[in-house]
Amino acid sequence: MLIENMQMAFAAIRANKMRSFLTMLGIIIGIGSVISIVSVGDTMRNMFAELYKDVGVTQAYIGIGYWIEDTRQSDYFTLDDLQRIKEVFGDEVAYIDSSASTSGEAIYGRTKEKFDYQGIDYNYQQVQPVDMVYGRYLNEGDVKGRKKNVVMDTVSAKRLFGVENAVNRTFRTTIYGDVDEYTVVGVYRKEMTPFQTMMLGQGDTGGKAMVPYTLLTWPNDSFYYCHVFASEEVDLDEFYSRLLAYIGKLKDRSSADFRMQLAKDEMGQIDSMMGGMAGAVGGIAAISLLVGGIGIMNIMLVSVTERTREIGIRKSLGARTRDIMIQFLTESAILSACGGLLGILLGVGIVSLGGALLRIDVVVKPGVVLLAVGFSALVGVFFGMYPAAKAAKKDPIEALRYE
Amino acid sequence: MSKGKDSCASGERTCPEDVQNNPGGELIRLEDLAKVYDTGALKVIGLKRINLTIRKGEFVAIMGQSGSGKSTLMNILGCLDRPSLGHYFLDGVDVAHMSSDELSGIRNQKIGFVFQSFNLISRMSALKNVELPMTYARKNKRQRQERATELLERVGLGKRLHHQPNEMSGGQRQRVAIARALANEPPLLLADEPTGNLDTASSNEIMELFSRLHAEGTTVVVVTHEEDIAAYTNRIIRFRDGQIVSDKPNVPCWLPKEDTTC
Repeated sequence: MLIENMQMAFAAIRANKMRSFLTMLGIIIGIGSVISIVSVGDTMRNMFAELYKDVGVTQAYIGIGYWIEDTRQSDYFTLDDLQRIKEVFGDEVAYIDSSASTSGEAIYGRTKEKFDYQGIDYNYQQVQPVDMVYGRYLNEGDVKGRKKNVVMDTVSAKRLFGVENAVNRTFRTTIYGDVDEYTVVGVYRKEMTPFQTMMLGQGDTGGKAMVPYTLLTWPNDSFYYCHVFASEEVDLDEFYSRLLAYIGKLKDRSSADFRMQLAKDEMGQIDSMMGGMAGAVGGIAAISLLVGGIGIMNIMLVSVTERTREIGIRKSLGARTRDIMIQFLTESAILSACGGLLGILLGVGIVSLGGALLRIDVVVKPGVVLLAVGFSALVGVFFGMYPAAKAAKKDPIEALRYE
Repeated sequence: MSKGKDSCASGERTCPEDVQNNPGGELIRLEDLAKVYDTGALKVIGLKRINLTIRKGEFVAIMGQSGSGKSTLMNILGCLDRPSLGHYFLDGVDVAHMSSDELSGIRNQKIGFVFQSFNLISRMSALKNVELPMTYARKNKRQRQERATELLERVGLGKRLHHQPNEMSGGQRQRVAIARALANEPPLLLADEPTGNLDTASSNEIMELFSRLHAEGTTVVVVTHEEDIAAYTNRIIRFRDGQIVSDKPNVPCWLPKEDTTC
């Protein structure tokens, strides 16, 4: 019986191709836009997650709270503090440095470029891997010996020196007021997706270089923040609360006096914000589904009136109220589900096309697609209910007499 | 209608007793059946306390002018409408006060309709049209197709199974409708002006088909206002103003030939 009803429904839909298509259009556009909006949202979230993975989700910055008024010299971190943390937490700390960075003008010959300098320890490569193309990374000797050696990326090297292979070239720059000669020991290449470039920024001017962090703590060896990467294996919440407690003890303060910024939390915030935005816009798009549903109801009402005589014939041949009801409900559900399927094609098509153009891996969740089809069929059943009931209620004699 | 008349007048055929009077069991019994249409302002009486019995195997014509109550009776006999008063026993069951879904079941199983305007579903092939009553009887696809094919062959449309109604002549359409009426082997075949939209030749064909079906044992009730059509039957009941004014046996003027081809 179900198969017969579906065959009848398809026959009825085919009999009025243009009208059926126009009716479906509402659902097609509704489902298409819901799917593309939700997928764009999911894709963005996925891209941010990837971005954070690149930047390091396990990292955190810890420093004395900005709300503390009576800051003391002992509230600042020292190289000894970092050493102690390393000893106490062992392998749980993948990396730790002073989070020091500064900028200055780099001069090579006639070229002057504004450079950002990031202070790093020699094992920074382990948490933020880069492809060294020329020379070497900073080593323990550079850091311990506070040598004025730097590594930079190919783009910065090209800007300052005109060539990518800038190994052993020296340039002058000012760090913390001291003008000095610095030597390039290595050049690395960092490939970035268009999205990463957009989010992390790589301006048209200026360069970036990494220097031993011990240089940037010079001369008084104390710093405001410490920058920690936890090991991949640890439970981040548990580890960081332990670390914060230890720092509190070390500095003779309550751990609540320290401010800790976790990359994971920031990512979570962005993720939930974007999820909420996608949801809200998707919800607005879902209104168009409602409009589509009303379109279906409208056309089903017309169809029921047009087919009054058919209903009369069917009833005279023994169709029960329920049979007629199911026939018309099947028709509106199929009309709507077909719209839903085409809508999925449209939505997935738009998202995939956009992804291909922007060279982004798009995320289309099967759950969303399933939900969309289910919802569109539900719209069909819901908005088909009234016309179907109207059809089923018709008096057979009146219906047979209808011209 | 000339053929029927002529053959009757020339006396080529005689009507054997057994066809004329073969009282089987009771199929239809109306007891004090009345129908009143309540239009609010005034009440219109459609039928006034009718008493009528039709036996299995009869071929009956119900005649009358428009407004005589014959259509009202037709609707009630066909279980499309319910009487206001009285009882209607169809095949031993009082159907006078059944619910509309119960009546649907009765129409499906007990009654085969043939309408003046054929009432085929235009988007469906002859085969699908004939299958329809069986679909509502929840028969499976294979059963339906076999039976529908057999019926269409029986009414001489074996070569037109997959034609749509609009690809067929009026006579052919009416034969599809008759095949459809027979689908669930109902005890009663109810025809409402079955030749009203047909030319004379097609009318004769259709009435001959009814005669043949009657000869095969089907009870046929034909509502008509044409004497020519009524002439095919064994019994003529005349209506006027919602009442039976005469109920007489009739000697049918046409009998099935040995080689029945439509």
